[in-house]
Amino acid sequence: MRKYVLRRLLVASASLAIASLAVFSLPRLIPGDAVQLMLDERAYGKDLEDLRAKLGLDQPIYLQYFEWLGRVVRGQLGESLWTRRPVIDELARRLPVSLELGLMALCFSISIALPVGIVAAVRQDSFADYVTRSLAILGLSVPGFWIATLAVLLPAIWWGWSPPIQFTEFSVDPWAHVSQFVLPAVILGVASAAAIMRLTRAMLLDVLRQDYVRTAWAKGVSERCVVLKHSLKNALIPVVTVLGIQVAQILGGTVIFETIFGLPGMGRFLFDAINQRDYPVIQGINLLIVSVVVVMNLTVDAFYAYLDPRIRY
Amino acid sequence: MDAFASKHFRGVTRRDLLKASLAAGAVVSAEPLLTPRRLHAQGKRGGILRVRGYDPPHFDPHQTLNFKTNNTLSFVHNKLVRHKVGVAPGTFTVEPDLAERWEELDDTTVVFYLRRGVRWHNKPPVNGRELTAEDVKFTFDRFLTEPANPLKFMLDPVDRVEVVDRYTVRFRLKEPFVWLVNMLANPTGTWIVAREVVDKYGDLKKPESAIGTGPFTLERYDPNVKTVFRRNPTYYRAGEPWVDGVDWLVMEDAAAGLAAYRTGQIDCGNWHGWTVRQQDLASLKKSQAQLVYRDWLSNVTQGIYMRTDKPPFNDVRVRRAISHAIDRQAIIESVWVKGEATPAIGRGLTEWSPRVDQLGPGATYYRYDPKEARRLLAEAGFPNGLKTQITATPGYGIDIVDAVQMVQRQLKESGIDAELKLQEYGAYIGTTFLGKYEGLAMGPFSIAWEPHTALYGMYTPEQPRNSSHVADARIVSMLKEQMRTKDLEARRKIIFDIQRYAADQQYYVYLYSVGATGSWRPYVKNYSPNSSFDYGNRSAALWLDR
Amino acid sequence: MANGVETLAASPVHSQILGRTATGAAALSALGRFCRKKPLGAFGGMIVLAMIIMAVLAPWIARYSYDETIRGARMKPPGAQFWMGTDNLGRDMWSRVVYGARISVTVGFGAVLIAQALAACIGITSGYFGGRYDICVQRIVDAWQSFPFLVVILSIMAVLGPGLLNVTAALGVVGAANASRVIRGTTISVAQNVYIESARALGAGHLRIMVRHILPNVAATLIVLATIGLGAFILAESALSFLGFGVPPPYPSWGGMLSGSGRAFFLDAPWIAIYPGLAISMAVFGFNMLGDALRDVLDPRLRGVGGGVR
Repeated sequence: MRKYVLRRLLVASASLAIASLAVFSLPRLIPGDAVQLMLDERAYGKDLEDLRAKLGLDQPIYLQYFEWLGRVVRGQLGESLWTRRPVIDELARRLPVSLELGLMALCFSISIALPVGIVAAVRQDSFADYVTRSLAILGLSVPGFWIATLAVLLPAIWWGWSPPIQFTEFSVDPWAHVSQFVLPAVILGVASAAAIMRLTRAMLLDVLRQDYVRTAWAKGVSERCVVLKHSLKNALIPVVTVLGIQVAQILGGTVIFETIFGLPGMGRFLFDAINQRDYPVIQGINLLIVSVVVVMNLTVDAFYAYLDPRIRY
Repeated sequence: MDAFASKHFRGVTRRDLLKASLAAGAVVSAEPLLTPRRLHAQGKRGGILRVRGYDPPHFDPHQTLNFKTNNTLSFVHNKLVRHKVGVAPGTFTVEPDLAERWEELDDTTVVFYLRRGVRWHNKPPVNGRELTAEDVKFTFDRFLTEPANPLKFMLDPVDRVEVVDRYTVRFRLKEPFVWLVNMLANPTGTWIVAREVVDKYGDLKKPESAIGTGPFTLERYDPNVKTVFRRNPTYYRAGEPWVDGVDWLVMEDAAAGLAAYRTGQIDCGNWHGWTVRQQDLASLKKSQAQLVYRDWLSNVTQGIYMRTDKPPFNDVRVRRAISHAIDRQAIIESVWVKGEATPAIGRGLTEWSPRVDQLGPGATYYRYDPKEARRLLAEAGFPNGLKTQITATPGYGIDIVDAVQMVQRQLKESGIDAELKLQEYGAYIGTTFLGKYEGLAMGPFSIAWEPHTALYGMYTPEQPRNSSHVADARIVSMLKEQMRTKDLEARRKIIFDIQRYAADQQYYVYLYSVGATGSWRPYVKNYSPNSSFDYGNRSAALWLDR
Repeated sequence: MANGVETLAASPVHSQILGRTATGAAALSALGRFCRKKPLGAFGGMIVLAMIIMAVLAPWIARYSYDETIRGARMKPPGAQFWMGTDNLGRDMWSRVVYGARISVTVGFGAVLIAQALAACIGITSGYFGGRYDICVQRIVDAWQSFPFLVVILSIMAVLGPGLLNVTAALGVVGAANASRVIRGTTISVAQNVYIESARALGAGHLRIMVRHILPNVAATLIVLATIGLGAFILAESALSFLGFGVPPPYPSWGGMLSGSGRAFFLDAPWIAIYPGLAISMAVFGFNMLGDALRDVLDPRLRGVGGGVR
């Protein structure tokens, strides 16, 4: 077990190293550079050079890369080119917002998707199964930003209510803080719920076909016991993996909801940084996300290895 | 409130003001103003104004020209002079701010006499000390020498700034420049800053360094969320600001912002400039007729620019053909709902922008006439039309993209087959906008509050904003002449002549200035919207009556 | 994610099905059986077919050109002349939706083609050759997969700039990562079959084996992934449009209509958003239903594949 974990760690670091290279070079491939954007339309030639030198953008690329890498190892992610605020501080402020949104969305997803998926599997091909599957696909089929737009506009017109436009911190008003995430989390969760529901149904169906389950039926074990005690755990293994991926996707993919609902999260931060070519910020965020994903994959794999003694490679 | 300061202020009569500003060549509006009810009005104190605001990239006015930075700084800073508040939109009359009067000693020397008893915000490191001429000199020294200050061009003709005594500053110019005072009134980059703050923080980028003498202090800054301003108790204008503070809220999304305005979460319109978008207006008026609405025209021009230094656009007939090919009214109706065809200076700049029909012979090219366009093209050697490309960016909003598509279609009907090339905003700013493109391009031109900024950079060779690569000696000499003409009427005549000539030559095919509709809740009193970045002064003059 | 799939043995069922459907009559009867057994899937298939027909016959079905601005017909509600109303520039919505099918089909199928081709190349070679090559490639795919979808797309779009082909290429490249994993899993199990070894013994080259023996067995997986991917790409394009990086005008993409004028004018003219929105939903619904049914038929063991795509 320990050797397995160590091996996976090595593998993970290799992935991280490759990722860091990608993280560093990708934003620099984008045409137009930060200095040009900062000076907008009034840039005189010499001023561009001065600003570049000031920001350290005039050194050769590989030097910049190693300098950045060196600082990362020491725990510093540099400063934003535009605001000169440390990237770490900004991340510390925004990561919790995105995480809250994502986790609440996932909780909502799971609480809907699991029960519905189980029912759909147990009552396969019945009317209920068709209805739930269709609803799930429907939930997947409508673009998230559209549901969010309707959720924001229509109540304003019909009932004179709209979600709060000001972001409230937890320390200021805990209840308002949590409640401002509810609407976006529900909408964000709908799509994940559909995916998880289908996956649960599929996996459970598969497991229910297995011989050992048939034995349980033959023994006269109650339906609830068969499903919940014997089958569910095995079916859930791939579901857990998918959950892991969903978290990763959510971390960087919430920009649309953050824009519409005015939540200062990492998605919006990254989007703005890309538009402004704020290289340190882009690199910092990407690195963070990639690290989180790699760690999560590692955890999931270790979890597997723990659960399933056959998986020891 | 400081009794001495208010007494001194009331001592300046309107006549003195007019005389002083005329002597310095400043712009004085001949238009009738709204009932002047600022300054001496008795407003109601209290309340927090909640409005749509912006997240500035940083707070240093000498390292950016970004409107978000200047909008935000307008709350905490003053300038030497400012635009009058309480006027009709489009009026940009210069009046005293930190300088109570000024004098033009000769063609290249202007002296400003500072108000006494103006105090900096009571925050370290300035701790409420008095503003002096040293602060002004420091500010403009930094303005002129800070590397990569994109606004440096505004004060290009300034040679140096000198301190005469504690309350007197002298500007020495390299050449006569009648627009100096107007430049100093432009709400972008000319805010007066303090040396100690720069020394303490290294630069002015951090929100803690946004310390000025203005009506509000910056109490709190939450990136991407809001900026909180609170009343400056030692502000030099008696009574102002009436509101206890301003919540400057960031709202990027139009739909969410509209919902917030409808449900009373903000006090003024959710769109830029505290307006409501035209497409939201109809349903808003129907359901909430009690809101206040005010229309005005933008002082930004939108137009097509092109490589006039290369064929085929070096031929004036081709350029005129393009202008004939465009149905400006149709685009206004379909995309912007409100607006007007415009000469070189935006229609929103009411004193300097003539109506299109007053442009003389050049006015004829504004007429939508595809047949005439084809005839001109044939005359120029393109009987079967010509192929080119037109570049634009979605970075200014989808409306511009809709407009470009209409333009493309209209050009096609006149035989000009322009392939549409969309560029991402950053790439556009770095290349096309600076003149590195082929064929045609389309977009808004920079905002301006006086004619010099609107014209000079675009028609002078070697200037970064000369997007059409214009090299016309006649325009250059006219521009240089108006820079020196002190008499207002004579200057206005030259400016009008420049615009007539521009219409005739069509180096830039100006399209229109769009209309905007400002809106605010009825309990917001004494608020006069205007299309400038000076939100601070406008907010300081209003009060909430509920 | 793919652990369970990787250890599954490939069933020779798919090659049998593919072989059997070669003859026309057999194909028709197979189709009939499919419709009866999987009505939802058949329904999805019909929607997909309708969409493709719309895309192909667009110039005949549409009454106007998609960028034709009809003077005086700004924001007209659906009626006799304009079946789906007109938008803010006076363009006929019905025509735009019909031509939009072309764009969606182009982007969707184009992206899927690129994604599947890439995934097949990477997955098959990786699974077949194994060893150090496999380890290296998988590390790169790992790193590739760790980036959230939106991040990579935005970066690629920012590099390439707006454009129909650029959007397609970006979506395709990004979608390849997940798919390659699954293909690799299937390849590993297929490659273990005895007939592969015998082909090698007979002197067949690697390329020949991969193309003639592995690829047909992996085809079913590819098909399932493709149908799921189509729906996902259409949705992704609309999300990109919202952020300003979607298919640029004047091409009438459904996502662009929904997130642009549809959203902006919703209060005044909801039809500008409703019809493209419906089109997107139905297309995605159709693709997903079809994909589900195909998966059930071709290889029930692929359940769970693509379930996490959003």
